[in-house]
Amino acid sequence: MTIDRPSSAIKVFTARRVRTMEHSQPIAEAVAVRDGRIVEVGTLETMRPWLDNHPHEIDDTFADHVIMPGFIDPHLHPSMAAVLLPMEFTTATDWSLPWEDVGAVASRVELLERLTELNDRLEADEPLFAWGHHPIWHGEIDRLQLNDISGTRPIVVWHRGYHLFIVNDAFYAWLDVDMDAARRHPQVDVERGAFFETGLGFAMRYLGPFLLGSERFRAGLDRMRQVIHHGGQTTIGDAAFGMYGFEREWEHLNDVMERPDTPFRIQFMVAAMNPEGHEASDRSMVEHILQLPERNTHRLRFSDHVKMFADGGFFAELMQLGFPGHLDGRHGEWMTPPARFEEIARSLWNAGLKIHVHCTGDNGIELVLQTLEKLQAERPRFDHRFTFEHFGISRPQQVDRLAALGAIASVQVYYVYELSRAFADHTLGYERSSQISRLGSLERAGVRFAVHSDYTMAPARPLNNAWVAANRINESGEVMCPNERISLDAAMRAITINAAYVLGLENEIGSLSWGKMADFTILDADPYDVGVEGLNEIPIWGTVFEGEKFAIET
Amino acid sequence: MSERRVPVTVIGGYLGAGKTTLINQLLAGRHGRRLAILVNDFGSVNIDAGLIASHDGETISLENGCICCSLADSLGDALDAVLALDPAPDQIVIEASGVADPAKVAYYGQGWPGCRLDAVVVLADAEMIRGLSDDQFVGELVTRQLRSGDVVALTKTDLVPDSSLDELEAWINTMDETSGTVVRVAHGLVDHRVVLDSAGDVANFGSTGESVDAHELFESVVFEFSSAVEREWLESALESWSDQIVRVKGIIALVDEGRHLVHRVAKRWSIEPTSDNCHANSLVVVALSGATELSQIAADVKRVNLLKD
Repeated sequence: MTIDRPSSAIKVFTARRVRTMEHSQPIAEAVAVRDGRIVEVGTLETMRPWLDNHPHEIDDTFADHVIMPGFIDPHLHPSMAAVLLPMEFTTATDWSLPWEDVGAVASRVELLERLTELNDRLEADEPLFAWGHHPIWHGEIDRLQLNDISGTRPIVVWHRGYHLFIVNDAFYAWLDVDMDAARRHPQVDVERGAFFETGLGFAMRYLGPFLLGSERFRAGLDRMRQVIHHGGQTTIGDAAFGMYGFEREWEHLNDVMERPDTPFRIQFMVAAMNPEGHEASDRSMVEHILQLPERNTHRLRFSDHVKMFADGGFFAELMQLGFPGHLDGRHGEWMTPPARFEEIARSLWNAGLKIHVHCTGDNGIELVLQTLEKLQAERPRFDHRFTFEHFGISRPQQVDRLAALGAIASVQVYYVYELSRAFADHTLGYERSSQISRLGSLERAGVRFAVHSDYTMAPARPLNNAWVAANRINESGEVMCPNERISLDAAMRAITINAAYVLGLENEIGSLSWGKMADFTILDADPYDVGVEGLNEIPIWGTVFEGEKFAIET
Repeated sequence: MSERRVPVTVIGGYLGAGKTTLINQLLAGRHGRRLAILVNDFGSVNIDAGLIASHDGETISLENGCICCSLADSLGDALDAVLALDPAPDQIVIEASGVADPAKVAYYGQGWPGCRLDAVVVLADAEMIRGLSDDQFVGELVTRQLRSGDVVALTKTDLVPDSSLDELEAWINTMDETSGTVVRVAHGLVDHRVVLDSAGDVANFGSTGESVDAHELFESVVFEFSSAVEREWLESALESWSDQIVRVKGIIALVDEGRHLVHRVAKRWSIEPTSDNCHANSLVVVALSGATELSQIAADVKRVNLLKD
């Protein structure tokens, strides 16, 4: 935390309105700040005892704006994003990126047109990486179509869910791929130019040094810095730190993010991955995790929150589903063997750590619930912050059990927007697909929850996530399961105070009252006046991070 | 393709199936081969300190020439690391994770530069496997694992009555037509011929038709050919032999095509050209003990040789 310098002056930010997200005083007109922390929230009149006794200045930059607590996304992946952000975006939905607005590419014709356009625009020796292909919208793409776009520039068209890409002939030549081995590989289709699943492992043998090269990775992280600020976020949770090499990630993040002009902090959840280990190695993992906060810098912080993984990814359709399973008979995957899942969770639970679990399908959630039921019976804990992350497909009765166990949730609500129609048609059928990310039930059951972007799975724009959560409108314009919509207030809490709660930081951030960090998101309009329909359209002026203003450059 | 590709064996199966026991046995074993064994976690591998020649981060080298590498990073990186060893290992063994589909791990063996897939061996605990196959969380997974084995090794069979083993074997065989040969393992001892490509040390075996090794579970027979063999005959033989024939390996001269390496594990086989100069023209066949098919094969080979002579 900031070192106390009592001699420095108080700065008072006045605004058209201050939305505190505190029940005791929901609305105010001014926030007094000293040394990066809030001294008092109220009106210039109620602050008189402070202002009369201390040197101060009034800053009315926000006289026409609304001050809210700095937005918080408790679950995204800066390192994954750093690999992706240098690529071109060609998904079926719009992206507002700090350096450009990218329109949706919704058909095969549009995708090929966009690729042609990008090919014309790029420097001659630069390979073209385009991320966002999905057969549901774009149909199948193959090597020959890409050869038509360029015979000399390597082109890689990466699937929206990451598990597949398509290349042209120039790609093979660029990386001098062993074509005999590629032909033998069952998950490389040389003729189609497709590398999928384990075929990606094969491709990374050639591509890894380029994609993960330090310079490119740092340029990607720097873009990530802009993205986070652009969304109005002042705190984020890195929900699986250490998955790409712990020390390497730490070094790059430290160099790129820990700078005076970075207007946010990152709290890391360490990936507690030990799927093939045993009790002794679990113990040394716990010891390692407990020592990590010694490394903390001003903006980069480890804590006692850890991340586990139950079933497979939702975009990749690898969630574990109970009866009746996947529409096309495919199967989900486990990221941790269920028997090991319980053992690892027990080691973490008994060490008093706060466990966050990636779980996406109702059978995955069932495993997590049964595990938590056992742990609560063995060694009951209160205020344990056990968090269900993503919460893609759940059954209503699972919400009641989650509530009874004192668990909370951090929900990937963008699934509803981007996937609910496609999954209804191709993956789940309508009933389950319409009830993806069951937030209304969580609100009714009194469970505290946040919404997150899981960036780059969804845009890192908290107001957009709040909009999806409160409206459940998908990319086709349909309202999916209106009874699972949440109230405006619940949606705003899910990106402020309740997101802080999920990270265990509710005493420092997430709302505006004395003693908390002076982190604000500055909006052109009050979301409570705008109403749920317009949440995603509210312009963001910028943020205040620990008392310092950071406007978004337009 | 004259470049020698290193055979890769994948060992799969759910937690508790006995993968680590098998790996310990291979590391310490007297199979005479320099193995590179890629494991998920060193902690559970029990290597006698007296056998360790050196220990360097992710790699342990043993006095017998074998090495054991932890899959701390990617499988591809580990494969490249052991393929770069000089001399290259005779064989690579990959321990698939308990939740992996061994068939997918096997794709690395099939398609990685410098590798050739030898076998997918899936272990199953004879006491637990039926129960696991009905489990709410892992039932689908363990069933899929069983289906992807060229060889399914039932472990801990000493704890289960023979009648149950027969039932179990029948159940695995009915799972689908691609399920592999089922072998039984008692007291944790897997015959290394099931796992390793060692049947192919052709020169070490005796003369035609002679059973070189009487064993409780397997017998190996060498069949020699007096002259070049028709490809058509060889292919139809490899295709038609049942899964009682666990392994086949040899170097065969094909009519008009020259010398070829022949591999067969359970029902999967390959014939590849080789520049190997050895003069052998023979197949080593490892079969389940008492397989009546061996005499039929002997008769077929005899007929081929007579036709040529």
